[in-house]
Amino acid sequence: MSVLTLPAQPGQDTAPRPLPWRRMAWVTWRQQRATLISVPAVLGAVAVFLVIFGLKVHHDYAAIVKCPLVGSVQNESGACQQLFSRFNATDWPLGNTCAILMALAPVLIGAFAGGPLLARELETGTYRYAWTQGLGRERQVIAKLALVGITLAVVTGAFGELFAWFFQPFLYTEELNVLTDTVFSARGLVFPAFTLVAFAIGAFFGMLLRRIVPAMAATLGVYLAVRLAAWGVRKYYPVAVVTSNSKIFSQFQTPSLPGFPWILTTWVTGPGGKPASPSVANRILNGPGPSPGASVPAGYTEWNRWIPLSHYWPMQFIEAGWLLVIAVALFAATVSLVRRRAA
Amino acid sequence: MTVFTRPARAAGLGQAAGAGMLWVTWRQHRGLLASVLAVFVAAVASMLVYGQRIHHDYAILRACRPAASPGCQGLSNYFNSTDWHLGNYLQVALLAAPVLLAMFAGPPVVARDLENSTYRYAWTQGIGRVRWTVAKLVIIGAAVTIAAFAIGQLFAWFFTPFLATEQLTVYTPSVFGTRAVAYAAWTLTAFCLGAFLGTLVRRILPAMAITPVLFAALAALTWFDLRHDYPVKTFWPMQLFEAGWLLTLSAALIAATVWLVRQRAE
Repeated sequence: MSVLTLPAQPGQDTAPRPLPWRRMAWVTWRQQRATLISVPAVLGAVAVFLVIFGLKVHHDYAAIVKCPLVGSVQNESGACQQLFSRFNATDWPLGNTCAILMALAPVLIGAFAGGPLLARELETGTYRYAWTQGLGRERQVIAKLALVGITLAVVTGAFGELFAWFFQPFLYTEELNVLTDTVFSARGLVFPAFTLVAFAIGAFFGMLLRRIVPAMAATLGVYLAVRLAAWGVRKYYPVAVVTSNSKIFSQFQTPSLPGFPWILTTWVTGPGGKPASPSVANRILNGPGPSPGASVPAGYTEWNRWIPLSHYWPMQFIEAGWLLVIAVALFAATVSLVRRRAA
Repeated sequence: MTVFTRPARAAGLGQAAGAGMLWVTWRQHRGLLASVLAVFVAAVASMLVYGQRIHHDYAILRACRPAASPGCQGLSNYFNSTDWHLGNYLQVALLAAPVLLAMFAGPPVVARDLENSTYRYAWTQGIGRVRWTVAKLVIIGAAVTIAAFAIGQLFAWFFTPFLATEQLTVYTPSVFGTRAVAYAAWTLTAFCLGAFLGTLVRRILPAMAITPVLFAALAALTWFDLRHDYPVKTFWPMQLFEAGWLLTLSAALIAATVWLVRQRAE
């Protein structure tokens, strides 16, 4: 059957025609304009809100920073403390809501943009027409995936940068840092990479299941699995360092890097470098004291395997890298499914 | 026009039509109903398994004396870092479930027939479009409400230890909303809202995008504002009051959906 629907035979027309880039882009635009308009429009509207609200957050935060004696004993119930409580009561709930929406954004964009991308043509039967045009079905699908995928990556990348600026004060006030899962995944390279993976999952399942709504449901489930996997493997990236305890606290006090670094494991060695007995180790690690490092008796050392906050960018590159590999593999699988399906 | 599509008024139709409607609803929405069943079984199984562990850990923690000793503090830290994480994730999943149901179950009920133009066929059967729509909404609505009630009941048991350890009460919005009576009512409302919006917009995808936004707005309004204005202030009257107005809202949404179906010309 499919022979009848193939384009010109190889014998008659050996040289492939030059790619009509502009027409391909135009057709993709016409078919996907709902996505290509609504995603930037919604993100643009939220961006305006983030800028307006972000200026207020930064302004409120600057007032807290400028306030003298913040946190000091005699001013505990004074004006500075009030500024801080008001910041937590008014700015933080909205900031937290924005952070939750940022965690949902990639999968929503991916499901709504990716799910119908190919499944709509299969569901309505228009693929019979669309795929038998002179352009060739593979090129057409690649053009669609590339144009929509690149648009989504660029738009969400820019949006992630804006969110990073918006959220910066909360890192200081809510004891978060750039390696906290919700923060790390909502900025830099990782945020657009997650969006691209969600989009690739949506397109793939749309082609596999050939129905829009089941494809979108599958996208939610599979994306959740990828997201949990990323959260699980992050601590194994080869960026951790091992030091005795004191160094961590010196980094904690560096003003340019907010928050406590990410401590993966902690253990205690006794005299001669041998591991301390569990009871001693437990007493040192859980014992009372002003800070965990202060109560270590002589001869014992507390060791930590930890990730300094300055290793943020290497971690971003690693995570965005493997996410991109998954996205490209899914795109390739989608194109291969298109190729195999009889028209 | 509609005169022709009314069912025959013959005696004895009701019995056979009831079973037939049930069967056709199952055939048309078996993907959805099977998915709901699968998620339900998975949720019940995980709550039973992890619930045993959490209750076991909590019993050990409570029995630990003296409470301020390093050993007991270690137990408490362990409970907060492992068991509470699990409990918190499950609570978030439970709160998200009605939103997902509203997105995926509600809009296609009527909108799929409208989008594919199969309504021309479906609505002109002997059963009549109004009874047909009501039957589908009631059958699916009843199934998800019963499932949500059972899940809420089990979750209340699962979550009990955290009320003490995390300084929560049954009035905390997230806890109140996941208790069986309110949770079942919220789930039904979510489904009816999705079905109504699907019928109103007549397209599945836009309805799927609008439904969670409206549902989240309604939930946020209730959590932060409406609940404070209830005429009752104790737990059970508050649960029943919330379920009552949500059921009324669901009935109104079903009525509006049916009205839209009736208005639509062939």
